[in-house]
Amino acid sequence: MGGNSAVVATTGPRRSPLTTLAWVLPGTIWLLIFLIAPLVMIILVSLWERTPVGFAAFSFSLDAYGRIFETSVFLDTLKNTIFRSLLVTGLCILIGYPIAFYLARCVKTIKFQIALFIVVLAPFWVAYVVRIIAWLPVLGRQGVINYFLVEVLGVVDEPISALFYSTFAITLALVQLYVLFMVTPIFFQLATLDEAAIEAARDLGATPGKVFREVIFPLSLPGVLIGCIFVFVLVMGEFATVRIIGGGTIQSVGTLVNDYYTIPDLPAAAAAATMLVAVMTVGVAILLRFSKIREVV
Amino acid sequence: MTYIWYLIALVLLVIPFSAMMFLPIKRSKPVLLGFFLIFIVFMYGPMLTMGVLSFQGPFGSMTLPAKDLGSLHWFTELRAESSLMVGVRDGITKSLWVSLVVAAITAALSLSLGMAFRRQFRGGGILFYAILLSLMTPGLLLSLGLSFLLYYIGFNKGEGMLGYVPIIGVQAVWALPFGFLVMMSVFNRYDARAEEAARDLGASSFTTFREVTLPLIWTGVFGAGLFGFTLALNEFERTFLISGAINTLPLKLYIITSSSVLRPYVYSLGVVTIIISFLLIGVFLLVSAITGRKKALAIEEDGSGVEDIPSMTAAASGD
Repeated sequence: MGGNSAVVATTGPRRSPLTTLAWVLPGTIWLLIFLIAPLVMIILVSLWERTPVGFAAFSFSLDAYGRIFETSVFLDTLKNTIFRSLLVTGLCILIGYPIAFYLARCVKTIKFQIALFIVVLAPFWVAYVVRIIAWLPVLGRQGVINYFLVEVLGVVDEPISALFYSTFAITLALVQLYVLFMVTPIFFQLATLDEAAIEAARDLGATPGKVFREVIFPLSLPGVLIGCIFVFVLVMGEFATVRIIGGGTIQSVGTLVNDYYTIPDLPAAAAAATMLVAVMTVGVAILLRFSKIREVV
Repeated sequence: MTYIWYLIALVLLVIPFSAMMFLPIKRSKPVLLGFFLIFIVFMYGPMLTMGVLSFQGPFGSMTLPAKDLGSLHWFTELRAESSLMVGVRDGITKSLWVSLVVAAITAALSLSLGMAFRRQFRGGGILFYAILLSLMTPGLLLSLGLSFLLYYIGFNKGEGMLGYVPIIGVQAVWALPFGFLVMMSVFNRYDARAEEAARDLGASSFTTFREVTLPLIWTGVFGAGLFGFTLALNEFERTFLISGAINTLPLKLYIITSSSVLRPYVYSLGVVTIIISFLLIGVFLLVSAITGRKKALAIEEDGSGVEDIPSMTAAASGD
């Protein structure tokens, strides 16, 4: 989804500016109302004063930020959330890359490739809440994992009761929920690699390992980068997984936002959300920066 | 304690990665195949366990081992309007209607934006990134911001038919980038010669669009609509703070899950939603297979070579 060259397909016939406007306008208005305006509102409300049921519009103050930074709860949660997002992103690379690599480069026939890809992608269409709930019988005290550890492997004597409601359980579920956002861009990058470059490297006598490390992997980095942006940003804003699997004992910025919202302290919720957006933006900027450096080198 | 788990996981994950890095494809392939199978178990295992547990008898538990398998008890429980179950059927009906409307809107907006991007125009770059932005905005933030907007304009959440407007709006925004990318991939391999021919024969641009363009791309439009339908049907976080009293199926499911005592009806409800989703994917694959075959036959007959095969793979493609 890189530069503008890929954006515009100049397959269309010439047309009047008015026609262009007619095609552009409905979508643009929709995005303005339901995407841009809400995001602007978050920043605005975080700067407005709180009233018992909501906020007083255009009464600017920084009190909401004062309230969320009053105790260390928010800052600690923010740190934890960032750490969790980085961890999940890292695990998604480790899992998603070999999967994408297998699909793109080890499966020979295109029909089989498409079929396997659909199998991999299908869970994306299952309701997100349902996929979280499905972890209940697996991670519970009498869940599948404990069953294996105790009965089959005999590694531990007692079921591990801390398996559910733990950060490990949350990490596991988050990786399962978001790994497809990593697999897909890497898959498309790997499937459309410049085969000539790989041939050339092979002809010059590079070992298979070297071909991977010095040709295939660097060329697939844009896909990895897009995947990282997706996973990092979406896990940062994660709420339901942490709430359902964490069972109220573990917080994320998302659950804090929801807590502030139900108090109700809408400006504080907005301030927390604004901090979230700020961290995400910085994270994405760092990732993009990193990719620029890679391109130069 | 948990660090040990992370360590085990890390060690296991390094194996396929290093096989990929150091071995020739012939030798790394079996390792990767094994890893792929484990991955499939990881993706489907929890859902499968849930599926098995939903077919328990009345004394069924929330975890393994399953008791009295082969009973539909917890599915019939969904229809019994006990206190918690009130609104489940209602939720399913509402979800289906909302999804249908979102599907139509997503298809229409994706089509119009797809048409727009066939030629360069001012602000096109910004609009493109705005469309992709909705892919990257966490659902909770969208929900929060929209609820502020509704509060600001004094809108009563979830009341009457008007209450559906924000729900449909935000779900269509979520589905739009997917539908849009489908249309982009359709237009990328689209042959504009038929349009030119129609125009040369004196057809107006509206007639050309209706008689030539639309019939050629309708599977793409259908695909965009299907994205709208499935994504809306399963949408939870974006709708969470703006739905008021309108509980769509995922919202109802979340409410039930948050309640104190969980019983296996949660699983059977989950199974019902999975079945609906997979049925829809099946329908889509069937439709694209049939139209694909028809196209292939048509090409064989008249050799026109016009193709549009928007498949699931093209749908998920970034460019």
